[in-house]
Amino acid sequence: MADQKDSKNDFQHYFGKEHDLVRKSVRELVQKEILPNIDEWEEKATFPKKLYKMAGELGLLGVGYPEELGGTPGDIFLKIVVGEELMRSTSGGLVAGLGSIDIAIPPIIRKGTEEQKERFVRPVIAGDRIAALGITEPGGGSDVANLKTTAVKKGDHYLVNGSKTFITSGVRADQITCAVRTGSENAHGISLLVIESGTPGYSTSPPMKKTGWWASDTAELYFDNLKVPVSNLIGEENQGFYYIMENFQSERLQLCIMANMTARIALEQAMKYATEREAFGKPLSGFQVTRHKLAEMATQVEVSQEFTYRVAAKMNAGINQIKEISMAKNFACQVSDRVTFDAVQIFGGAGYVRESVVERLYRDNRILSIGGGTTEIMKEIISKLM
Amino acid sequence: MRVYVCVKHVPDTAANIKVVGGSGFDESVKFIVNPYDEYAIGEASQLVKKEGGEVVIVTLGKASAMTTVRAALAIGGDRGILIKTDKQFVESDETALILKKAIEDDGGADMIFAGKQAADSEGMQTCYRLAANLGMPVATEVVGFSYAGGKVVVEREIGGGEREVIEMTAPCVVGATKGLNEVRYPKLPDIMKAKKKPVNEIDAGSLKVDAAGLVELVALEQVPERSNAKMLEGSVTEAVDTLVKLLRDEAKVLE
Ligand SMILES: Cc1cc2nc3c(=O)[nH]c(=O)nc-3n(C[C@H](O)[C@H](O)[C@H](O)COP(=O)(O)OP(=O)(O)OC[C@H]3O[C@@H](n4cnc5c(N)ncnc54)[C@H](O)[C@@H]3O)c2cc1C
Ligand SMILES: Cc1cc2nc3c(=O)[nH]c(=O)nc-3n(C[C@H](O)[C@H](O)[C@H](O)COP(=O)(O)OP(=O)(O)OC[C@H]3O[C@@H](n4cnc5c(N)ncnc54)[C@H](O)[C@@H]3O)c2cc1C
Repeated sequence: MADQKDSKNDFQHYFGKEHDLVRKSVRELVQKEILPNIDEWEEKATFPKKLYKMAGELGLLGVGYPEELGGTPGDIFLKIVVGEELMRSTSGGLVAGLGSIDIAIPPIIRKGTEEQKERFVRPVIAGDRIAALGITEPGGGSDVANLKTTAVKKGDHYLVNGSKTFITSGVRADQITCAVRTGSENAHGISLLVIESGTPGYSTSPPMKKTGWWASDTAELYFDNLKVPVSNLIGEENQGFYYIMENFQSERLQLCIMANMTARIALEQAMKYATEREAFGKPLSGFQVTRHKLAEMATQVEVSQEFTYRVAAKMNAGINQIKEISMAKNFACQVSDRVTFDAVQIFGGAGYVRESVVERLYRDNRILSIGGGTTEIMKEIISKLM
Repeated sequence: MRVYVCVKHVPDTAANIKVVGGSGFDESVKFIVNPYDEYAIGEASQLVKKEGGEVVIVTLGKASAMTTVRAALAIGGDRGILIKTDKQFVESDETALILKKAIEDDGGADMIFAGKQAADSEGMQTCYRLAANLGMPVATEVVGFSYAGGKVVVEREIGGGEREVIEMTAPCVVGATKGLNEVRYPKLPDIMKAKKKPVNEIDAGSLKVDAAGLVELVALEQVPERSNAKMLEGSVTEAVDTLVKLLRDEAKVLE
């Protein structure tokens, strides 16, 4: 008689008992508080602000961050569990909105002063403030080294002028971890400042109307002679480019998780539909062509997920995975492109209308190979490291 | 006050149980905190929050039940006691004697909470036997609980939507059921902290409990597949007529 092992599954050493319990907690939050409302929120292109507070109270926003700042330290798979279960909301936009903390605060935690952490990290982890990351500009996103927003030092403050675009949580954000030019016209002249939305001269566009990620408030930000205290500089002046690059690794991992889960949910939905829907007198799953399509989708999803886990495990062990995480992101996005397409195909007309989850997954999926570094930029990174 | 919560390590209610060796089952399925015990933990935590003291989780089970002790500690509780046994099935009289001994050895209870029944064996005996062994009052199927100055007032469901209100003196044993409180999903930091809470592991044998061995598990059998339920249509008279006909002709339980 097999004795029960500590981890629920002998083949997956990535997840142990704590991960299972965390998964269960996040799943319950999603099932009770999010799923019953998500269609309505998506249609209204928002979600209630109080969800940040609920997520903060549950401890969900602080996973992976120091206990001293209200966080819950844990390995990389704890973060993965949270990301996977949030994706069960079937709304990439909601996950991106709640998740903007994860692209905005890591540089402050890594390079910020104690005072900055108290002001700009603790309340974000608690769900009392919303944080966003501002890198991309109307002039370009891929070419980060070429950004145009300027910050000129004048005594105890910087005078900031310029604009940012496509900023996730941009409409509601209280603070932006913002890339600005403080020096030479290249990668060595960029700094990170925390810009607070209340600063005179700060304004945003209305929420941008997007293909997908409807629940997320994406905005343009305008900086007109903002006075930002020098004490809001993160780390050293002109080192911002490197801080941004460091930050990208975890963002790309989160995007892998989003892509894998988008594909997995689309697959599950398609499998269910294929057994229920009948055509020519038998269920869709009665056709070999459908079964094979589903088999192929399942294979792709499985392979992508396992590769992501493997790369994550190496990141967790402190092994440099810049090349591999770029590969994982591209692979996962290719898989979710294909699987969401096929899932819509299996649904037929029902997959093209908003009542079906696959319709949303198909739209939400499109951003994944653009944000956090495009497919082409990933390939640039991979080819340089080959 | 020192409040004990008896928590059983049970197979997931959604698990597919395979009988092996006649009277055992395959334990490679997922195990969970007995669902009713979650309400017990919730109530104990609230009580201690109000009155001060500590909540101690007590579990009798195989060494693998440690996962359930940790899961219980994530929901609430300050420390745990795992009483280890090799037996897959421990009868209620022995369980109650072992729990009593372990609780007394640990310092004795100001209050004891448990679930009204275990989701696996469904004996509904442990609460009563434990209370009898300890000479304490007991109420189970409890859906309402309050405590003030050594007096406990509980509400229990008695069917037909009616509730019975019982007053007891503490210490007493309260068997929780669904509705006693809302089980909150454990907070993530609490899950991680549960790992660090102390758990005292003791061997059941070392407690030298002498159970009478009144019950023996002879065999476990798979519940036969149920045939499809039939809905009887029409008026009450028609439905009863059909039912009698079915019982006589199909089920052949009536002459
Ligand atoms: C919904 C949404 C949310 C976003 N959230 C944020 C956010 O929170 N913060 C933030 O800073 N940004 C955010 N972005 C911006 C996103 O990171 C950029 O859109 C992305 O980096 C691409 O930049 P771009 O749009 O300027 O495209 P461009 O850089 O103009 O690229 C256009 C095309 O040219 C290709 N290309 C560019 N350079 C090369 C090259 N060297 N070789 C080959 N091909 C190349 C690109 O791959 C792409 O196909 C978000 C975008 C969207 C749509
Ligand atoms: C080098 C080699 C080593 C092998 N080693 C082993 C071994 O160690 N042990 C062993 O048991 N076998 C072994 N095999 C046999 C191998 O498993 C079979 O060849 C394989 O399962 C395909 O079966 P088949 O050759 O009868 O082709 P068929 O079943 O005739 O299939 C022919 C084609 O039709 C496709 N096809 C079949 N059924 C369907 C369907 N329902 N829907 C759609 N397409 C279908 C097949 O995929 C294939 O493309 C080996 C074969 C080779 C060539």
